Amino acid sequence: MSAPHCRRVVVVGRDAALWLSANVIRGALGGSGVEVTAVELPSRLTDADVYATLPPLEALHSQLRVDEAALLRTVGGVFTLGQNFADAAGAGEPFLHAYGAYGTVIDGQDFFAYWLKARGLGLRVGLEDFSLTASAARQGRLLVPDDETEKFGRSDYAYHLPAAAYARSLRGLAVHDGMAIHAAETIEVLPGDGGVAAISADGVRIEGDLFVDATGDGLLIDALGVARESWGDIFPGDRMLVASAPKFASIPAYAEIRAHAQGWTGLYPSLNQTHVVQVTASSLSSDEEAFQVAAATGGLPLTDVTMRGLDPGMRASAWAGNVVAIGGAAATFDPLHNVDLLGVQTGLIKLLAFFPVASDFSAERSEYNRQVRGAYERLRDFQALHYRINAYGASFWARARQSEVSPALAHRIALFQARGEIAPYEDESFAPDSWRAFFIGHGLVPDSYTPVIDRTSPDEMKAQFRHMLGFVKEQVLRQPTHDSYLQTMTRRGHG
Amino acid sequence: MQTDRSNPVRVVIVGGGTAGWMTAAGLVRLLASADYDLTLIESDEIGTVGVGEATLPHIKTFNDMLGINEAEFMRDTKATFKLGIEFVGWDKPSDRYIHPFGTFGEPWAGVDFQHHWARAALAGEDVGSLFDYSYAVQAAARAAFEFPNEDPKSIRSTYAYAYHFDAGLYANFLRGWAQARGVKRVEGKIVDVGRDGNSGHVDRLTLESGATIEGDVFIDCSGFRSLLLGQTMGIAWDDWSEWLPCDRAMAMPTTRTEPLISYTRATAQRGGWTWRIGLQHRTGNGMVFSSAYCSEDEARETLMGAVDGALLAEPRVLRFRAGRRVKGWEGNVIGIGLASGFLEPLESTSIFLIQAAVVDLANLMPTRGGIDRRLADEFNRLYEVHYDRTRDFLVLHYCANRRAGEPLWDHVRNMKLPDSLAHKIALFEASAAAPDYKYGLFSRDSWLAVLVGQGIIPRGYNRLADRLPMDELSAKLHDLRGRIRTNVDAMTDHADFIASYCAAPILDASMESAA
Repeated sequence: MSAPHCRRVVVVGRDAALWLSANVIRGALGGSGVEVTAVELPSRLTDADVYATLPPLEALHSQLRVDEAALLRTVGGVFTLGQNFADAAGAGEPFLHAYGAYGTVIDGQDFFAYWLKARGLGLRVGLEDFSLTASAARQGRLLVPDDETEKFGRSDYAYHLPAAAYARSLRGLAVHDGMAIHAAETIEVLPGDGGVAAISADGVRIEGDLFVDATGDGLLIDALGVARESWGDIFPGDRMLVASAPKFASIPAYAEIRAHAQGWTGLYPSLNQTHVVQVTASSLSSDEEAFQVAAATGGLPLTDVTMRGLDPGMRASAWAGNVVAIGGAAATFDPLHNVDLLGVQTGLIKLLAFFPVASDFSAERSEYNRQVRGAYERLRDFQALHYRINAYGASFWARARQSEVSPALAHRIALFQARGEIAPYEDESFAPDSWRAFFIGHGLVPDSYTPVIDRTSPDEMKAQFRHMLGFVKEQVLRQPTHDSYLQTMTRRGHG
Repeated sequence: MQTDRSNPVRVVIVGGGTAGWMTAAGLVRLLASADYDLTLIESDEIGTVGVGEATLPHIKTFNDMLGINEAEFMRDTKATFKLGIEFVGWDKPSDRYIHPFGTFGEPWAGVDFQHHWARAALAGEDVGSLFDYSYAVQAAARAAFEFPNEDPKSIRSTYAYAYHFDAGLYANFLRGWAQARGVKRVEGKIVDVGRDGNSGHVDRLTLESGATIEGDVFIDCSGFRSLLLGQTMGIAWDDWSEWLPCDRAMAMPTTRTEPLISYTRATAQRGGWTWRIGLQHRTGNGMVFSSAYCSEDEARETLMGAVDGALLAEPRVLRFRAGRRVKGWEGNVIGIGLASGFLEPLESTSIFLIQAAVVDLANLMPTRGGIDRRLADEFNRLYEVHYDRTRDFLVLHYCANRRAGEPLWDHVRNMKLPDSLAHKIALFEASAAAPDYKYGLFSRDSWLAVLVGQGIIPRGYNRLADRLPMDELSAKLHDLRGRIRTNVDAMTDHADFIASYCAAPILDASMESAA
């Protein structure tokens, strides 16, 4: 075929969105004659910022040939098996959103319906006790998947990565690969046919065929006049606090999210500190009050405190003209469920799948926009669920219960309430077990379960339950503690 | 919850054709017998349409779920194996291609096969046809059959199979099976439908004999009449004849001829298309046509000219319209089969749509608590997905034709397409990306077969494919074609396989019903 179009890709932005985009595109298409230039704007990260990730990032790292142990050593990152959601006032039972399966199939049917049935018959064992990942997290252990645990089900994990160090590490990768990098304080967008012709970076003109907007604010996509849809009616928080606190003596393999009258405060352990992230509503508390709540809820002294505005929402189109917005420029998510880097990753994987082939790439662009919108709306719905169905007491959460829901989410909630099933959608990123963890965690009890499981005899069901609980106990006991695993990893690095 | 065993949910199935007995069999298998009481009403006086004698591979999952012995079922329904559908003349009159039940090639370097194939073809390499890289296509082309290998690394694991069978005999087979497991069969014609004054739910049916049958849930398998869903509940019809103008079918059985091919054949004709389905004891033939472009006489003449055996019965004509009811579930009435919608048998989807509805219904089945709208909403959402995607796939066969000068074909080539389909075609032409759904029909490989088969050739491909050096790619393509050819050459002849696996007792074919 003729010489490919879109040879020069210019990635403009900052922090992880910039360096993931630049490295991923170069790694995948460098061999096809695509040249990547990175235009680096000043970082917005402080030492208190954390990238709390989700399991899919591991696959992106292996695509970039990032060694997990080396990365965690370099940036002071740790593993996480999920998030524990608790009421700061101590009301209600805390629940884990664990990154693994809850129970295993019986007679070819999902475990969950059996659990619902058993619960209706008086079973008092929680859903979490059937999860290897959740049980390990509760006991301060990791869950290192192997053949035996794979037979039981998925046992994934993610990371807490000190953000500034992670971005530097990704930048190092780009430097090592010899990527062209222009650091700039400010940029100017120079329009041309079909979108952007060039970027002026501190006065230096940088031309390209395709531009990736990883600026966070969306400096390039804004210049093309692409509107932004706010999700302000869906998410109750509009202010974010980030701070640093001392490390835990023993590092939990999960994050702890505490709900309180003003919003929520999250504690994300890493190797040398605890990252504190808090979301509140400015109409319910002053900045000073928000700070006091963060300190009191975490019970830890806070340093490096930053307050930022928060405005979840997405672009009408993530790709317009020859500009593809990745990360915050495309969509800003509420920080609650760690979906930021998943949003970046989804945008990049789909960009590689629909990377322009010829000068007319309108079909690829429209498919990209369709798929990215679908994926981001499903992520948004997943997050919105938590706010909508929460059972916490006070003002922020009472307001959250009144928030808007999309028709798709309203249907999913209704179906779960009716039958305990998770309606399948094409563009969904989270497994049904993740949805179930929140529904059950917030105390929704379905009105019925699917009758097809009633064919399994009660004795068989009981035997399977006993077997699962025994298996979980036995497997968790042979797992290393998070601390000992991290120590071994660090020692190996020095040897 | 579901604990009251003394008072089962009464489920009444109206109609005993393929849809009725598949529903009865599926539900009696999936639902615990103490909680549900299943009754099926059918009348010997009302004929069944006997939709589709050709199926999709999903039917095997359904039969396996029931625990049916395959050889026994094939013997009883005089079935043969099916590896795909051959489309003759759908692009240009001289063209033919097979839509296989299997994959094209294999992904390399994390990139789907068609991108590698398109890249090599665009670079002028001698790569042959996409269809050379489908094991199922090559096996079908040789009228061969063997069971797929279970080792996923083997090239012989890259296909699936379905059946051609006598749908009337399949319904009979399931009738016996379901009755043996507790489904009550009531013979009779329904003369009145009673509804609850408050809820509007159907609550009883009166038969010609005067007997009444009460129920909690009614499943309408009454065929085109749509007695409960359409007539009683008044659910509107969404008409798709704008995209699928064929509205008549003429069916006609002939004697078996050799070779016994392991695929269905669909041949485009001036006023529609003809089908050919080889069973063990006879060949099913028929013509689907548009009354706006083709008279019944012309259809009969075309069909007579297309068959290759001796006539076993006179042609009979069915009238239909393409489309579906706006909802598949309203109140306590669920429509399954023709009572809910109709799509011409071009891709053998009728039985699949029944099966999907039965499985969805079992999961969402009302319990003693009564009818729950939220469950109906989910059923209807899934029902729309199944029908609408199938529609786009069928329309693709028509719109992408080059049969210039034939009025029907000129019309469908120039009609305005559903946006969802126009976009899929444009995307494939630009980038070789084919639709790839997580749920429902059709798979990416099916789309590829019909897109390429209808002459739509991609101008570009996923640039990640460039990571493979071209000489390495050429060698891999060459090797793959060779592996397929060598393995297919060693396969058993389809007729021999049938003879040793599931031969039906030989009767005088003319004694058989022509259902």
